[in-house]
Amino acid sequence: MLNTLPVIDAHAMLGEEAHLHLDAETLLRRMDAAEVTMAIARPMGAGLVVDHAAGNALVLKAGPRIRGLVTANPWWGGKALDAVARGRDDGAVGLFLDPTRQGFMPTESIAMPLFERAAEYGWPVLVRTGTYVCADLLAVAEVARRLPATPFIAGFGGFADMWFDLPGTFAAIPNLYVDTSMMIGDGIRALVTAHGPSRIVFGSAEPRNRYAVCLRTLERLGLAEDARRAILHDNAKRLFGL
Amino acid sequence: MRIIDFHTHLDRHWLGQPLPTAEAMVAAMDRFDVEASCVFTVMGFYGNCESHNEALVTETDRYPDRLIPFATVDPKDGPAAAEELEQRLSDARFRGVKLHPWLQAFAPSMLKETMTGLLRVAARHDAPVIFHDGTPPYCTTFQVAEVARWVPEATIILGHAGLADYVDAAAQLIRDVPNLYACFCGPRGGDLLHLVATGGADKVLFGSDFGAATWELLAERIDDVVEAGLTAAEAEQVFYGNAARLLQRRGGC
Repeated sequence: MLNTLPVIDAHAMLGEEAHLHLDAETLLRRMDAAEVTMAIARPMGAGLVVDHAAGNALVLKAGPRIRGLVTANPWWGGKALDAVARGRDDGAVGLFLDPTRQGFMPTESIAMPLFERAAEYGWPVLVRTGTYVCADLLAVAEVARRLPATPFIAGFGGFADMWFDLPGTFAAIPNLYVDTSMMIGDGIRALVTAHGPSRIVFGSAEPRNRYAVCLRTLERLGLAEDARRAILHDNAKRLFGL
Repeated sequence: MRIIDFHTHLDRHWLGQPLPTAEAMVAAMDRFDVEASCVFTVMGFYGNCESHNEALVTETDRYPDRLIPFATVDPKDGPAAAEELEQRLSDARFRGVKLHPWLQAFAPSMLKETMTGLLRVAARHDAPVIFHDGTPPYCTTFQVAEVARWVPEATIILGHAGLADYVDAAAQLIRDVPNLYACFCGPRGGDLLHLVATGGADKVLFGSDFGAATWELLAERIDDVVEAGLTAAEAEQVFYGNAARLLQRRGGC
């Protein structure tokens, strides 16, 4: 057993996208095997890009141990805002956006109403960050500067090649968080050492990554017990209002 | 389980960041039962390839059974790069070539004649050529696959199997391009299943990038394979068999 603390996974994915697929039942089995108490899931694939009703229903109706982040493609305009409102009524705990898959630059005006709506709801916003152009970590940081009271989580921590921009951006933007799901141990350690653990949440990126790998990566860092607890549980509990 | 790590780096530092020494690298390999590692420069990608090739082989000479040096050259040097590569590969200690178009600042298509010449030299010496991949604008997975098509007799390896956003492309490309392989170094377990299912277990090699980061990275990357859900036979090919086969073409591993 790796976990002596209750664990919240702040970034799992439900649906089908390219070679990845995961349903709620399978995620729950994997959570049980890894002793993960709760997962925050967001849609992937068609449910992320075009069919929000289906994608959001998948994560919002997955049961009490899986809480959902809703998504809506900003290009839907008012309909996107309606989808987010329905998500709130159905118990969503935040907003997820994937600028690469959904086809927008985070700083584009088309996306701002969604960010502002999340701010109005008091939600955190998880944004997939990674390969340059639309998934540019620094573009997410720009939006975070404009909405300083809203927590923005850099999903995947800039994986793969924006790892070198993460430490400086993290230092400059106090409302920027990261999930550890695709980060290497060295990257997590650097953030904890420089800024403490309070803006880092454990994530799995299931089904792309594996719980066992992600949990062992954290264990190897030999973090103090309070830092482990913060990353594995307390930060996500606070951030998502669980 | 026998393991050959096909993607590591050995250098004193990366810009201002100190890197693990050869001793530290071998100690970590011992700890995780890694028999041998293919090692590449880091700072040599930024310039002075010759001196960095010399420094690399000086370090690996201390652990000749464990650390396998790969040479690098700067294709922007044109014919001089081909001469440097010919000289290095005439030395049996160098067992392959590493190119990093992103850090070395060239698009392969802008240097097609030079690149074709370099890959022919490598092919003549039975030396595999591993490229960084997965990063625009010089190292997309498609760009590296295109290079493989230019010289079918060369053995070309995607150094990161598509890395973040090109994994599905990498799986298809190693399936479709006979001389193209993927080093599983960066993607995660769910990606590995797809690479093996689509591209074939005989086209995927294990790599860690250890040396560019601390020993924990080696452990994490081994975990990525162990926890992926491969069969034992597939894992053996990825961890050891495929790398041994490619390295043996140039005289044992």
